[in-house]
Amino acid sequence: MTRLLLLLALLAGGAGASNAQQLLDWSADEIASVGQHGPWPPPPVRDPSNRVSGMPAGILLGEHLFNDLRLSGDGRMSCATCHQAGRDWSDGLAKARGNVELDRRTPTLWNVGYLHWFGWDGAGDSLWAQSIRPLLDPREMNGGPARPATLLRSDAQLACGYGKAFGEKPGIDDEKLLVDTAKALAAFQATLVSPRTSFDDFRDALVAGDRDRAARYPLAAQRGLKLFIGSANCNLCHLGPRFTSGEFGDVGIPFFVRPGEVDTGRHGGLGRLAASPFNLLGKYNDDPTGASARRTRHVQRQHTNFGEFRVPGLRQVGRGGPYMHNGSVLTLEDVVKHYSEVSPDRLHSDGVPVVRPLALSKEQSADLVSFLRTLDTEVPPRPAAPPLCP
Amino acid sequence: MRFVAALLAVVLASPAFADCPLDLGRGTGWVVFSNHYMLAFRSDPLRIETGEPFALVLNVCTKNGKPAELVAVDAQMPEHRHGMNYRPTIVGADNGRYRAEGLVFHMPGRWELTFDVRAGEETERLTHDIILK
Ligand code: HEC
Ligand code: HEC
Repeated sequence: MTRLLLLLALLAGGAGASNAQQLLDWSADEIASVGQHGPWPPPPVRDPSNRVSGMPAGILLGEHLFNDLRLSGDGRMSCATCHQAGRDWSDGLAKARGNVELDRRTPTLWNVGYLHWFGWDGAGDSLWAQSIRPLLDPREMNGGPARPATLLRSDAQLACGYGKAFGEKPGIDDEKLLVDTAKALAAFQATLVSPRTSFDDFRDALVAGDRDRAARYPLAAQRGLKLFIGSANCNLCHLGPRFTSGEFGDVGIPFFVRPGEVDTGRHGGLGRLAASPFNLLGKYNDDPTGASARRTRHVQRQHTNFGEFRVPGLRQVGRGGPYMHNGSVLTLEDVVKHYSEVSPDRLHSDGVPVVRPLALSKEQSADLVSFLRTLDTEVPPRPAAPPLCP
Repeated sequence: MRFVAALLAVVLASPAFADCPLDLGRGTGWVVFSNHYMLAFRSDPLRIETGEPFALVLNVCTKNGKPAELVAVDAQMPEHRHGMNYRPTIVGADNGRYRAEGLVFHMPGRWELTFDVRAGEETERLTHDIILK
């Protein structure tokens, strides 16, 4: 093995010191910026508002429920209908298809446990609260508030799995069982962490000062990354290891749904958040310290939230698409074209705009796409979940 | 660092400030002055991370020794003309300190913190810049 590596190293060296030139010059500031997009993977999620978060029995129950068609009104839809493991936990459609076509695209569930606002509009403040919506929404699973409780009480396997996860038999309180179903679903979803990518290898090598290893990262991707953290300012919003601030922005995607009707985005989402009995200020928050409710307590609806959508993370982004909250942008090339040509009038900013037409050259656009494509990797098929109570 | 310490020493030596505790401004904290007021604060946690909630612990004094009050804390990014999406609340503690809870800087760059302070009828706005990387 070592000898093989040595041979490879010699061969690479023999190719005319070209390896050394495969690394662009990276300033200390740039290295610090790149470093902020790691390390990967992050430590496992532990959500204090959810008492089964991180617990194997809760996670397993959640995986079974995630795939269970019986949670839907007509028995034909599960979470996995739209969030498909084989499609990076989305569905490949521009707009989700429930009982009717929805107005928004199904987001991936990769790394969803690390978010603090959920849905494109941030109407959910916890992963479990967000998981209640599709169970009830008439356009989605349309299960009705008592369905999860009935199922947990009547199905021996699920009842047993519930007992293992929550330490008691499913009781008579339907709403509590609805919330517990969502908490198990959340525990499962929080384990969906996207794998390491060639970007992560580059990032680690660059930070460690390992030039040889860093030089394996394609030059086009290096140039694209320089743009991303530099003049294109993408990392003002797509920041940190997940490439998102977890907050909201308006990048000039039209938000008309139908003639005369708009998707108000964050503005409407904050209204729904405040009205929800399941938000973190309510009685179902399992966190006795109240610290998990800090954002919910202090968030403030503003005028500028109109038409804002959550900044999507960019890991596995190249395997997704169509893009944006409404699936209106087809390919990654089109996304970059959008940022290159976006109309400043649409963005109505009176200060130095955060998003402005970048007027990228053909080469720059291609570099940026090359970089974005290093954020994903092939994922092995997911094995079926083991039985709840063998 | 040493400069701040020296400055503090000078300030603390002048009689009007004798009772103004500025220890919050030492080390990782900040001190802000105006003609009438003096404000010392630090953040909790000490390191402010983009997108993560934090609090400020503050002390405010007047130069003439009259009691001063902290009325409001807010922050904006002057270049981009946007503020935070969060409204901090202020609670006073027994030890005369204030705690402003619930701030979030959602973007790297220059944030201007504003502090509205009051002594009697007069209100004044003090500001302090923080560059978030
Ligand atoms: C009909 C398709 C469909 C089904 C079925 C569905 N979802 Fe979704 N899911 C969506 C769409 C569309 C969104 C975006 C919703 C929004 O922004 O308002 C979404 C958003 C989410 C989010 C937020 C992700 C993020 O990035 O903020 C979570 C979590 C989620 N779904 C979990 C679930 C769970 C759990 C179930 C099953 C109980 C489920 N979904 C069933 C389409 C679906
Ligand atoms: C102002 C913050 C901001 C900046 C700056 C920004 N983005 Fe975005 N980005 C967003 C938001 C918000 C969305 C979702 C918009 C929507 O759905 O309407 C988005 C969407 C995307 C998507 C689609 C992801 C998906 O899953 O649909 C990609 C890819 C992307 N941005 C890449 C970039 C690149 C490359 C740059 C730099 C040229 C950049 N962004 C600059 C906020 C930003």
